[in-house]
Amino acid sequence: MSTDAQSGEDAGPEPETAESEGPTMPTPQTETPNYDGEFDAIIVGAGLAGSAAALTLAREDKDVIMLERGNSPGTKNVFGGIMFTPRIRELTDFDDAPKERFVAEKTFSMLSEEGDATEISMQPGAWKEEPHNDSWMVLRGNFDEWFAEQAVEAGATLITETTVTDLVREDGAIAGVETDRPDGQLHAPTVVLAEGANSLVSEGAGLADPQHREDVAVSAKEVRKYDRETIEDRFHLTDEEGAAIHYFGDGAVGDAVGGGFIYTNKRTLSIGVVYSIEDAVHDERTPDEVLDEFKSHPAVAPLIKGGRMIEYSAHAIPEGGPEAMPDLVHDGAVITGDAAGLVLNNGLHLEGTNMAVESGFQAGKAVADALAAGRTDARALADYEDALADSYVMDNLNHYGWFLDTAAEDREFLFDDLPKALADAETEYFRMDDDSKTRHTKSARKRVVSAMGGYLGAAKKAWKYRKLFR
Amino acid sequence: MSAQPSTPDVEQPSIEDRLYTVKYEDPGDSHLDVELPGICEEKCVTYDCVSVCPANVWREEEDEGVPTIAYENCLECGSCRWACSHGNVVWEYPENGSGVSYKYG
Repeated sequence: MSTDAQSGEDAGPEPETAESEGPTMPTPQTETPNYDGEFDAIIVGAGLAGSAAALTLAREDKDVIMLERGNSPGTKNVFGGIMFTPRIRELTDFDDAPKERFVAEKTFSMLSEEGDATEISMQPGAWKEEPHNDSWMVLRGNFDEWFAEQAVEAGATLITETTVTDLVREDGAIAGVETDRPDGQLHAPTVVLAEGANSLVSEGAGLADPQHREDVAVSAKEVRKYDRETIEDRFHLTDEEGAAIHYFGDGAVGDAVGGGFIYTNKRTLSIGVVYSIEDAVHDERTPDEVLDEFKSHPAVAPLIKGGRMIEYSAHAIPEGGPEAMPDLVHDGAVITGDAAGLVLNNGLHLEGTNMAVESGFQAGKAVADALAAGRTDARALADYEDALADSYVMDNLNHYGWFLDTAAEDREFLFDDLPKALADAETEYFRMDDDSKTRHTKSARKRVVSAMGGYLGAAKKAWKYRKLFR
Repeated sequence: MSAQPSTPDVEQPSIEDRLYTVKYEDPGDSHLDVELPGICEEKCVTYDCVSVCPANVWREEEDEGVPTIAYENCLECGSCRWACSHGNVVWEYPENGSGVSYKYG
């Protein structure tokens, strides 16, 4: 990326004599070879999508460079907690990956503001067997570093502490990137944008429109450290088993569209809240205050009390679904992962990691094919978009694209009324007094039906949410 | 909450304590700004940047002018970019890998 003058033979008198730290460690900027035009593909961001693309391209014998703005892959990344691994397990020696625990138990919990909780919990035996339904708690610092290493071992070049600031165009087509390094222009026939939720490069270059705030969620999260035994006792876990708990209702994040979560790692818990930015600006509490209230809920506090906060983090999540996605393919460039809006949230499935890896993999394949064919215009790269369209990625996003808007319309019912109505119904149904169970049942039913808006309202809601189960 | 006195106390850290857990390298200059101060002063009454910020970067001033920007608190979540309904937030990445470095993420 630097000029020949800095790295070539005529670099001037040699300052490193006896006092230098050794001959092999010049400063990064003067060490940087001239990479301009040396690569077939530039990957913007060494996160899940970027490393998947780099790994795939390197295995196709393409010269590929990853530009990462953090000082190591993963240091700028935040997620809730589950890595879904169907593709990454195929791409790597996944046994070696730094993992925390597999998801042995999944719980959905509805919290009322008054302190009630209604939970459904599942631990199918199949999840305890390999490959554990491809669902692992990980921590992104070491996981993303490991994944990027797999790409480097396959032949990719990784440059850190380098931020891509813009795209370079030639004759209208994308032909490289601009970085914040001195003489930081880098040309290559293809660019894979894997820059994450804050897709400044794609937006700045006019490849993506800024998202609306209804379509983006803010998340605040704490990682807290405990004894391993404390975690295993509290959540009834052994060995590598882990628990994933998702919380909804106004006891979790008020009447905002969103929820809370707890994921068990080996010796830490990831505890957080996620809710739409549109709701956050109308809430008088800031996200850290919402997180504190969630932690104090009577159903949550006993699980997370004590311990020591070892990291606080926050990030935005693009949740706009297929309608908010940018065009994925451009002349000389493709967009992947969070930058492409590949996040699924339908209340039950909260996925992004799998689609980031899948999109990086499919992008890598399409770019390799296009390079082999000697053409890198949008038509030549279209296989990437087609592959996603034919895969679970677009199928799922299209199928559930309606969910968050519908949930926003029904927020009062879903997040305010339902958690309390269910708790009241449970209280009635299991009541111990002089009345008969028929009366208790009738009273319980009344609570739920009334919250639903009568039988007609219940039927309408069942119709509206039917697609969650088909 | 309803009367549930048995609920254990949990730590409610201050923002300062929260940020203390995050490794940070100061880029020297703010990577955040407002596009047009006049929009904050004349048009904005809601200060959505302040409401959405999980790190107390954006702070409303008493004179209701341009918010103070404590950029060194920034967790680079990006929420203020979308929150501002006037599109008045200037948000860039801190240069050369400076800013936050998450260890766990």
